[in-house]
Amino acid sequence: MSSTDFTIDQTDIEKLNDKDKTELRQFFANEEHRSRIQSQTHELTGICWKKCVTSGTFRSGALDKSEQGCLANCVDRFMDANLATMKHLASMRQQQ
Amino acid sequence: MDSDSVKKAIIKQALQATNTANARTLIENINEKCFERCVPKPGSSLSSGEKTCLTSCMEKYMAAWNEVNATYIRRIQQEIGNQNLS
Repeated sequence: MSSTDFTIDQTDIEKLNDKDKTELRQFFANEEHRSRIQSQTHELTGICWKKCVTSGTFRSGALDKSEQGCLANCVDRFMDANLATMKHLASMRQQQ
Repeated sequence: MDSDSVKKAIIKQALQATNTANARTLIENINEKCFERCVPKPGSSLSSGEKTCLTSCMEKYMAAWNEVNATYIRRIQQEIGNQNLS
């Protein structure tokens, strides 16, 4: 156990000065953003794996060029499709 | 404990928690996808071919994750850039 491994309790929290509180708020905002990107990456990897990595057996653990290109296209087209859906949804709402 | 060490401890614990959660999700997904692909008809034990397939599949899935992550981040930054222009 290193010196920073300990349970943080209320009395420790009260020791935080304003500067460190601001820094922590920023840190957690960044972490929330990072975590959202990571969970979206998990989702997209699942979707694009199905479409792009189709060879039955795996001779090597590396991606080949075509798989790599397919994965990049898959992510970009998924985002395009997402945007197209949102756009169409907006126009449907305007027609109502 | 002063303010700085409390802050550092909080950051350390939070990073550990999110990194563990991320690794756990990745491993769960790898198990699911690679089992599906490498063990189509489960026998009485894993064959050496199935084992080789599983390790290659795992490495490949991680490479795919990194590729998807890099592309996704690039795309998000691009969208933010477009928003700022319009």
